[in-house]
Amino acid sequence: MRLTRDEQEMLAGTRGEAQRRSMEGLVQLGEAFGAEDMVEIGYAHVHPGMALYSQDVELMEDLVKIGAKVVVPTSANVMNVDTENWKLIGTPENLARLHMRGVRAHSALGAVSAMTCTPYWAGHWPSWNMHMTSIESGVTVFCNSVLGARSNRDGFFSVYAALTGRYPRFGYHLDENRVGTHLVRVEADLANITDYSCLGYHLGKIVGTDVPVFSGLPHKPTLDELDALGAGLATTGGVSMFIVPGTTPPITSIDQAFAGRKPREELVVRQADIDAVYSSFGNTPAGGAVDFVHLGCPHASFQEMQDYGKLFAGKHKAEGVELWITTSRAVKALAEQEGIVKLLREAGAKIITDTCPMSCHFARTTSPDDDIKLPPPPMSTMVVDSAKQAKYVRDMIQCDTLLTGTKEAVATALTGRFVPRAP
Amino acid sequence: MSAIAARGIVDGSARGPALVGAEPISFLGDVDIRTGRVVGDLPSLRNTIVKGTVLIFPYTRGSAGAWRFLYQLYKHANAPVAIVTQSVPDPSVVQGAILAGIPIACEPEADLATLVQNGAAVTVEVKDGKATITV
Repeated sequence: MRLTRDEQEMLAGTRGEAQRRSMEGLVQLGEAFGAEDMVEIGYAHVHPGMALYSQDVELMEDLVKIGAKVVVPTSANVMNVDTENWKLIGTPENLARLHMRGVRAHSALGAVSAMTCTPYWAGHWPSWNMHMTSIESGVTVFCNSVLGARSNRDGFFSVYAALTGRYPRFGYHLDENRVGTHLVRVEADLANITDYSCLGYHLGKIVGTDVPVFSGLPHKPTLDELDALGAGLATTGGVSMFIVPGTTPPITSIDQAFAGRKPREELVVRQADIDAVYSSFGNTPAGGAVDFVHLGCPHASFQEMQDYGKLFAGKHKAEGVELWITTSRAVKALAEQEGIVKLLREAGAKIITDTCPMSCHFARTTSPDDDIKLPPPPMSTMVVDSAKQAKYVRDMIQCDTLLTGTKEAVATALTGRFVPRAP
Repeated sequence: MSAIAARGIVDGSARGPALVGAEPISFLGDVDIRTGRVVGDLPSLRNTIVKGTVLIFPYTRGSAGAWRFLYQLYKHANAPVAIVTQSVPDPSVVQGAILAGIPIACEPEADLATLVQNGAAVTVEVKDGKATITV
């Protein structure tokens, strides 16, 4: 790779061990993917340190020990514990304490402890054409597709990019890869936000790591619909970017989305494809007993918190139902200010930040240190309104998992009986 | 013995018994980090153990969290000794392999699935973008 003088100095170690280690990793990554040089990044969304995995918080602490400091605005991803409300949701104390060490490590690095999978709702976002890195694939998709930034689906090395301000030029940092591959004509109604998550979930299986271009959407998608669509695409596929002409900067037409070339493939999505995603989850029939309802995947926007507030106003969840609403610390603060948190608590909801059902200590597929004695997950039948959460709850918590629309999930919480998405 | 050229992705060299899969793998979910056992819905690999093998499969799929699971396999001493894929793996998988010191080669010049039997000793040597797979 061609390195600038600054980058060579980082690699040589004259600017400290943290930048040396980071640059060494980034050069290896760049050479693996045939990158010619580095780009300068303007934002990084990084690993929080995951207490449910052996020696994982220590990865961040090790960086602090060698004097690491971020050099660009940096936010941290969702983690395994709500560090404020850990007692409320039955988190073992040693797991919570381990996570607080991770949060302290982020402060020492100079990163913001956003602890969310939707940093853009919390005020952390890139501009059009800004190079960035992200450890969360949902963030990668949103930033590429809605904000016009340039990001790959990264792993741990997102923190190396934060510590150097550099990332190898490959993948979605190059114009040649930011071009549509599949033309998707949507004939489904898409009547609620969950439908958009199902649209993404359905297509991710078909397009894999390619770039779908949407036509025929019923209206210009809202921010929450775009967020749900991207999260669905990143769940079943390796999608990093989708294109909605007129929404994805700077693309205004289908022709431009395909850079004047013909689509490699054309697809039609019908209502039956959306319905099939809902019905692929769960065994409990309509009216069957439910003991856990979750809203807020990806972490709720302020708009979504307002929507939940309207649906729950003056009502109360059924006895025997655990009701979680997950969001970021920043959005929760705004919702508190507007009285929404109080209203939702009066309806019996727990407002949880930093984590979510599939990310917290409920997951059976983790591998904590042996001295963290994890209780078994408390639920047997769970209802969610996100196809992403549904897949991971089913696979990681391994309870009966049902997918429905937001309004129907609220109705389920109020009655304790499963309300499928209204046809 | 034959030597097959491939593209080098992560430097290193290793030798181990081949484990050949026909399906793409997601390290988040398909492999149990505590045992190294394939638990995902992969008919050709289900219930096999990846520990110590040269793991050969078409491509990686799924979550950007894959790096952590590959790294965890290594931390639990259950990782494959080398990975060979048909197409370039996800950046997240490559980052996990660099952290764990697991060499990766891809785009081999011969079809390994027909050349290599499960359990056959395979050597993978990767340096400076070039790889040699000896079977």
